[in-house]
Amino acid sequence: MKRSGFWSDLVKYRTLLLMLLPAVLFFIVFAYIPMTGVVLAFKQYTYDGGIFGSPWNGLDNFRFFFESGQAWQVTRNTALYNIAFIIVNNVLQIAVAILLFEVANKWFRKIFQTMLFLPYFISWVVVGAIAYNLFSYDFGMINVVLTTFGMDKIDIYNTAEYWPVLLVIVSAWKAVGYGSIMYLAAITGIDTEMYEAAEIDGANVFQRIFKITLPNLYPTIIILVLLAIGNIFRGDFGMFYNMVGNNGLLFANTDVIDTFVFRALTSSNDIGMSSAAGFYQSVLGFVTILFANYAVRKYDKDRALF
Amino acid sequence: MKTNKRKGILMLVLILMVSLLISACGGNSGGNGEAVQSNSPANDAKKTTSDNTLEEATLKMVLIGSKPTDYDEIFSEMNKLLKEKINTTIETEFLDWSDWSSKYPLKFAANDDFDLVFTANWAFYHNQASNGGFYELTDELLQTYTPMTWKATPKVSWDQAKIKGKLYMIPNNNQEFTDKVLMIREDLRKKYNLELVNSPETFAVYAKTIARNEKGMSGFAAAAGGGYKWHELDNVLLEQQNEWRLVDPNMPFAFKLDDPKGTVFNVYDTPEFEKLLVYYKDLADNGVWSKNVVNSKNDVWQDMKAKKAASLKGNLGTLGFQIVEARRDLPDVEMTIADLTPNQKKTAAISTQNGMAIHATSKQVERSLMVIDLLQNDKQIHDLTMYGIEGKHYLSLGDDKYNPGPSRDKYTGFSNWGWNSDLNRTEASYPKEASDIESTWNDKTYHYPLESFVFDDKNVRNELASIGNVMLRFGVPLEYGLIPDLDKGRDELINQLNVAGLDKIQSELQSQVDAFLTNNK
Repeated sequence: MKRSGFWSDLVKYRTLLLMLLPAVLFFIVFAYIPMTGVVLAFKQYTYDGGIFGSPWNGLDNFRFFFESGQAWQVTRNTALYNIAFIIVNNVLQIAVAILLFEVANKWFRKIFQTMLFLPYFISWVVVGAIAYNLFSYDFGMINVVLTTFGMDKIDIYNTAEYWPVLLVIVSAWKAVGYGSIMYLAAITGIDTEMYEAAEIDGANVFQRIFKITLPNLYPTIIILVLLAIGNIFRGDFGMFYNMVGNNGLLFANTDVIDTFVFRALTSSNDIGMSSAAGFYQSVLGFVTILFANYAVRKYDKDRALF
Repeated sequence: MKTNKRKGILMLVLILMVSLLISACGGNSGGNGEAVQSNSPANDAKKTTSDNTLEEATLKMVLIGSKPTDYDEIFSEMNKLLKEKINTTIETEFLDWSDWSSKYPLKFAANDDFDLVFTANWAFYHNQASNGGFYELTDELLQTYTPMTWKATPKVSWDQAKIKGKLYMIPNNNQEFTDKVLMIREDLRKKYNLELVNSPETFAVYAKTIARNEKGMSGFAAAAGGGYKWHELDNVLLEQQNEWRLVDPNMPFAFKLDDPKGTVFNVYDTPEFEKLLVYYKDLADNGVWSKNVVNSKNDVWQDMKAKKAASLKGNLGTLGFQIVEARRDLPDVEMTIADLTPNQKKTAAISTQNGMAIHATSKQVERSLMVIDLLQNDKQIHDLTMYGIEGKHYLSLGDDKYNPGPSRDKYTGFSNWGWNSDLNRTEASYPKEASDIESTWNDKTYHYPLESFVFDDKNVRNELASIGNVMLRFGVPLEYGLIPDLDKGRDELINQLNVAGLDKIQSELQSQVDAFLTNNK
């Protein structure tokens, strides 16, 4: 057999390699090179030293986070919220996608889809303002409606217990449209012959959904969930900050790592300490995804990410 | 085997590429670092030229703010005057408000070529001075090259600008007060036949009456969602009322203004604070501010104008101009300024609030000083640079007042405050109430030993970050009366602060204060 060396391969597959190049460059420039900035987590950042010239200070930057007494609480909040978001959003997205698929009327389907998709484009800042006008004690719509029916007002912004539910609902409202389109695309890709055959055999709608659609969706579901799990320790800063803001009364139930770090470090402007927090999140996320991927591999080797 | 080898080579190439790029970045910043270290202020200042043989010189000046539209017109006019007087012209670079705070340190780090630069205690004065970014100004230099400024500026202003006994800026020469006052609705006060508002008690009656009787109007405009770690009224009711001073709003330590020893104490742990909590709770329960105040990010002045609030806290100067605006836009309401602590000591902003400094590596130190002297004290140049062209940007009214001219908006919004001085004019429509209060304050201005003390947080950054979080989480809701049990809330606050390392900051702070007082005796 002829030994083909690296260089001859390079020439042979030049077209394919050229097509790969943009993606490789993209990840090198925007993911791998910035990754070296992680050294900042172990440095006392100074303006004149820059990223690489600043003096090292060991694990000092991590002290702030772990000695604050809040580390466990915010880490737990972040993970629990993200788990809730992943489960609720995916279930709703799949349900909506299946419903849209089963709706025969094309016109109705388009309108419904557009309406569901719309919240995805609204910035969290605006969502925060809308929420304030809904939930406010003095003039919020919910309380106005409650008082007109002679009921007592509810003080949403001062009651931490409501917030986990509220945030899950808001997150779902915003994410369902986008995710359902991805699932809808996957469903549309399922071979229609299977449905025709099932119909001839007398399967009803539910049987078709549970026996054909869902099993065919598994690969998509697993990939999307696995990708989401990698970010399980990153709070959606835009969401939490704009919905909760600086309301200390709610922090016990709503503070996530990102908002905690933001609040603590905006006044001190310490780049090293923020990098340390980001590094902590990345390491946790990395470990989680390794475990999740391992679990998927055990169960079904072909479905794992790597 | 073959694929393994290929993979290995690919990895190698990749690693090489990345490391090449990284080292390129690293080399860059390393170079900058060295440049700074070589900035020794040992520049020779001996090229003294006597006044009659001034060589032609061009200086570069760095100011903060966006470049005004009519900059060219006004600054070429100024250059004509400067050329005539000291054979100098100036080129100015503006660091825009949006990113000045990141660009400013870079100008020094990269050792850019400039001579004059705006600085202030809020604009890196201490930071750059300790990094060696500014040229040290000796008394001798000042007496020789800035004789007018030397004469006009009181000694206390010079002293306030010194860092460890050394001076790096020519501070602006303009009395500004740090005391806060309230704007209230005089028409509503009269409507309900209430007493004049001039104390915490009369204010409470006023605010509660309005909140109870005026539908849709709160008694006090507060928006606590912005991350400020105190109650909006704490400046007035805690600091001014008790003649205390917070060392830094990011930590709960204060000292008494007249305490010669400068003993710092935890504000939350005082009986005064405990009493104030009761006062706030009473206001909160009577609807003086919204129950959702900590989520509100409203523009409080717009709330006031929209008749949604009946009082507002602010600086005397700011509120003065807002009253002018209200008189123009809202003829049906009457607003006035109320000082809730008229008998207490008044504190002035220290001179480093604004000022001009000279870059450590400037080759034109003397000439730069001469320029600052003229900017501050030459009536013609001062008027021109502060207000623009007479008849166009401002209409002069006697020697010390002005009215805005038609093009006023085209010359504003940048840091020409660096050379504020006695020659500043006041706007003619500035309300009398405000200037009256200002003149009574002038007699009560109190200078205290720790006026120019700045806390260096280097050793306690970790603790400080946690403390700020605790203040926001447990302090702010407590002060706004959102926690039903005051004692429990206060205990929780103090406990959490102790966990976060309050003691360590306190001892660090006290030792810095002690050192400062010994050095400045």
